[in-house]
Amino acid sequence: MSTEDLPKNEAQVLKGHEGAVLTARFNKDGNYCLTGGKDRTIRLWNPHRGIHIKTYKSHGREVRDVHVTADNSKICSCGGDRQVFYWDVSTGRVIRKFRGHDSEVNAVKFNEYSSVVVSAGYDRSVRAWDCRSHSTEPIQIIDTFLDSVMSVCLTKTEIIAGSVDGTVRTFDIRMGRELSDDLGQPVNCISLSNDGNCVLASCLDSTLRLLDRTSGELLQEYKGHTCKSFKMDCCLSNSDAYVVGGSEDGRLFFWDLVDASVVSSFRAHSSVYEFGKLEDHNAAIEACAFNVCFVESCEQDWFPFFLEVKYMYH
Amino acid sequence: MESDEEDFVFFGTPIEREEDITSRKKKSIAEASGQLRTLAPWKQEVRDEEGRRRFHGAFSGGFSAGYYNTVGSKEGWTPQTFTSSRKNRAEFKQQDLSNFLDDDEKAELEGNSLGTSMKFDTFGFTAADMARKQVEKEQNERPSAIPGPAPDEIVVPATDPIGVKLMLKMGWRRGHSIKSSKTSSLYDARREARKAFLALSEDAKAHAAGPAHADMDDTMETSSELLTDGVSQLHKTTPVYVLNPKQDMYGLGYDPFKGAPEFRDNKRSHLPGNKVSGQKSQPSKKDGLFSFKSRNVAPGFGIGALEELDAEDEDVYASNYDFETFVEEIEEPAKLAIEDKKKTTVKQHGILPGFKPATNSDFQLERFDPPVVPKDFVPRHKFPTTPEATPKMTELPPKEVPPPEDNNLKVLIEGVATLVARCGPLFEELSREKHQSNPMFDFLNNGNGHDYYKRKVWEARQKHGDKVKPLFKEKVITQDINTQRKMTAESRGNILGEKALERSVVKDVPVPVPVPVTVTETVNLQFHLSDTFTEPASFVEPTEVTKPFQHDTAKQERFEQYMKEKYHGGLRTKDAGGSSKMSESARARERLEFEAAAEAVTLGKWGSQSQSQSQPSGQQILGVPGGRGLQFTSGGSEACSSSSIIINKKLEVNRGEEVMKKSMFPKREEFQWRPVSILCKRFDLIDPYLGKPPPPPRSRSKLDSLIFMPDYIKAATKDEKTNANLPISQLDDILEDNVEVENVERPVDLYKAIFSDDSDDDMASLNITQSESEDPTKKIEAAANSTLSRLVAGDFLESLGKELGLEVPPEYQPPPIQKPKSTLPETPQVSQSQPQNHEKKDTKVERKGSDSEEERERDRKRSKRHRSRNRSGSESDEYRDRNSSRRKERKKDRSSHGKHRKRESERKSRRDEERDYGDGKREKRKWRD
Repeated sequence: MSTEDLPKNEAQVLKGHEGAVLTARFNKDGNYCLTGGKDRTIRLWNPHRGIHIKTYKSHGREVRDVHVTADNSKICSCGGDRQVFYWDVSTGRVIRKFRGHDSEVNAVKFNEYSSVVVSAGYDRSVRAWDCRSHSTEPIQIIDTFLDSVMSVCLTKTEIIAGSVDGTVRTFDIRMGRELSDDLGQPVNCISLSNDGNCVLASCLDSTLRLLDRTSGELLQEYKGHTCKSFKMDCCLSNSDAYVVGGSEDGRLFFWDLVDASVVSSFRAHSSVYEFGKLEDHNAAIEACAFNVCFVESCEQDWFPFFLEVKYMYH
Repeated sequence: MESDEEDFVFFGTPIEREEDITSRKKKSIAEASGQLRTLAPWKQEVRDEEGRRRFHGAFSGGFSAGYYNTVGSKEGWTPQTFTSSRKNRAEFKQQDLSNFLDDDEKAELEGNSLGTSMKFDTFGFTAADMARKQVEKEQNERPSAIPGPAPDEIVVPATDPIGVKLMLKMGWRRGHSIKSSKTSSLYDARREARKAFLALSEDAKAHAAGPAHADMDDTMETSSELLTDGVSQLHKTTPVYVLNPKQDMYGLGYDPFKGAPEFRDNKRSHLPGNKVSGQKSQPSKKDGLFSFKSRNVAPGFGIGALEELDAEDEDVYASNYDFETFVEEIEEPAKLAIEDKKKTTVKQHGILPGFKPATNSDFQLERFDPPVVPKDFVPRHKFPTTPEATPKMTELPPKEVPPPEDNNLKVLIEGVATLVARCGPLFEELSREKHQSNPMFDFLNNGNGHDYYKRKVWEARQKHGDKVKPLFKEKVITQDINTQRKMTAESRGNILGEKALERSVVKDVPVPVPVPVTVTETVNLQFHLSDTFTEPASFVEPTEVTKPFQHDTAKQERFEQYMKEKYHGGLRTKDAGGSSKMSESARARERLEFEAAAEAVTLGKWGSQSQSQSQPSGQQILGVPGGRGLQFTSGGSEACSSSSIIINKKLEVNRGEEVMKKSMFPKREEFQWRPVSILCKRFDLIDPYLGKPPPPPRSRSKLDSLIFMPDYIKAATKDEKTNANLPISQLDDILEDNVEVENVERPVDLYKAIFSDDSDDDMASLNITQSESEDPTKKIEAAANSTLSRLVAGDFLESLGKELGLEVPPEYQPPPIQKPKSTLPETPQVSQSQPQNHEKKDTKVERKGSDSEEERERDRKRSKRHRSRNRSGSESDEYRDRNSSRRKERKKDRSSHGKHRKRESERKSRRDEERDYGDGKREKRKWRD
């Protein structure tokens, strides 16, 4: 994939959310896309045709993260209502609600076999929930973090989580050890490289940092965007050639992985914030945002209106 | 017997003997409850509830009816709901008076029979009835050519039923349907669902290409949909039956144009008095087109459904009487006519049939001129935020006025004028209020130099008209709603009620300090609030504050807060000038920095204002890429030297910090972490700690996380651990040497009396040497627990005891055999208190311990460990050992806190130092793991 192949504008605009869109995730094969937002719904889309397929309603507060199993049969989601929801895709019913987080849940992921949901919360903990048993208690609580856990990633044997305390912690289940990489800056979002050897961490000092996972070395820093106070996603392209990240000014940035130069950047959203997520499917790039048009009324009220998910690929 | 009975004729039912019945009943009950051994189905007998054998009737097989006495058949058992014919055998038939009356009697009765009134004839049935009766009557009076009663279809009610009338009043029109919106919405929903479904299926294109295929897929959906499509058409209009009067002289049913339908229209249009010929022609043509085939086909004769029509197949019976045409003419829906009418009218551009468009017309489209604006009208419109947008341009320039003699006043006026021009009249008002008493500012209130001031303001406005406006706009725009792009993430987030992520890492300190989740939110929020909701005049100043601390947003924010407060006076927040997490000294330092920077900024601002209107700023040297709306992007090198120097200094310092940080981060640490076995199972991994004992539950108490242990205590407790594991008998001789009993006077026995289990514990601990199989650590733990509680209660009890003047109760005397030092039984006070206090004393002991002692201990420990390993496998595992001792240490620590109040103060100060150092928690954690 050369630089020219990088997406430059949106392919589709998914309209339907009645509030800010906080997360957007592709499914495994890249045919569908799930979004969650402040309107307390999760929506399933066919982003290629721009069709809204289904709405999942049950959350009591905003939806912050959503993840779908490899076989597309289940969804897990989390949000401001301190619960992790485990959904059935086709019926749209909640199979289980995992309660236990003491505060908002920031991120949620399935493991490889879709048997465990791992969630990261504002209560400084990462919790693992069993989907197979009927218990709604967490099977493991990891509470070594010193501050809110923003993002979590899973490999076959590890749980990796990034926290505002500035650490990226790797919990190796096979070895039974915890590796803590202190970056010195609040970590916003983490993302694994496709080969699994590196982890990309988006820090609140407007820098993306690429770490070698085995040694904990800092391989590269990517700068140029703005990321100071909001959670924004970052990821690597399928070929691991580019680093993608969002900026608070509504732009999407592409860096060259090796020399950390900004290869391309474009305005993805007319407003603040967005997630970039590069999918393994023919370089489709998803970016979602809450795109707010403020409508002014005579009394100088502010109405957040007209929200959309943007989604693009070349 | 049998033969005898055959000869007699019996009447009635025979009286059965009592015991017969009871026995049968019993049997049946037993059978029903399944007490009897179940026989094979064909051997069982069918019995009724009385226990009698049931008779099935001679024709159905006597006693052995059904399939081997079962209700099943050879093929299987088919249940059927049984209704007895016994109870409702003969249907009771409703009899009527009319059944018993003759015809003439009936006719008589009819005169005074009840009937529904026309008034409440909702559906028109009564009217129809009446009409029918009328027809019948007429028929009776003068028999017509057609015999028999008139068919219902022909007989039409003479009046509109009341329902129709009501509907008409409500706005319904004939021919329109009464469609409920509900059903349609349901259909719509279904349609939506189907669309979504179609979208889901990937080969939707194929679907689109071949709808038939789609139908195959989801027959249910589509069929219903198709139906609705059809229905929706029907729904819109209900057919109105138009009766065509017979106007020709042909026989009934005869169609002269049968062979040539195209002539029919021709004929019709020529008919006299047919006004609507133009309209009629269309539908009839259409009719002719699609009913051509059917006209030739008589109903029910001749041709199969799939056969082709041929001339030979023409029905002989249908040749003369064409019922079809008649029926069709009658049932032809009016809707078609209406539609066609529309079509034609559209085609002819609203010209009525039979009319021609006029070649010249008197009609003229009347045009109105726009209203004349009065000459003296001044287009004035006040905007609260952008004051100089329009009115300034239309303002007439004030007269040229010579400047006042006083040079100071002149400078002042000019300065204020430029400011007012820049910031709007609000600034003027503000300064007017501020300097009401100051005679120098009289020019604001029509005083000395007012004219000159006016002129200057106008000039300034004219001068920077173009330059200022965009600049100003950019500043104001953060509030302006039309320009959502200029909004910063923070302000938007604030508006949306989002919390910005807080930094828990303090930058000024090289080592990251863990800060609890609650950070000084209020300050930020305040700032943002004022950011978005203050009036422009007050808003301008903080924005004009350039950003000397751009690299550190938190600091910058604090600085801005400081600046705002400085300019406006007002209430100062308690932690103004520094976040709450900063130490006093750091805050003071920062305050100084801010003052210097503020001075520099103001100097730069004033200096620059006199030179040019754009804002030159030395701060631009910092040149953070992507400087946005709020910052001033124009670069100027003529900034005040002092400011740039300060800022450069700061920059250097920060660069240094950055370099330091880079060298420090990322920092890798490794800890032990124990995944739960079920987690390993779910991840399909082997538990790395398989077979090892479970880790001790982490104590999550507040106390635990709050207590920071100074280093010397840690060292002591580590040593203590070795000691604690020693058998107590051996300990005693160490204690003997260097223990001066610290608190002999403490009435130990008082609490002993209260915490009665203490003695047991002590006993147990003393017994350890004898009972080797017991886990020593466990005991010691228990002992530690008791000591802890004792110590906590210590101070309190001491005073209590003193107050009450309680006598020390006699002590429990341990048997001398168990005591290793049996030589000391006669000194109860001291020797008894020793084993109880040794737990807390050994801290002291260790602190004083000489090298030789340590060596001895180590030796002992080694030997002990060796022993324990031999003793029992997993229980005295090292892991557990360590943990338990660790736990004990913690408790110890706490206990020492409780006890040594005097030392508390020194220790506290030390702890404070440590907290300032800031890594207490982390230290502890590292140590714990």
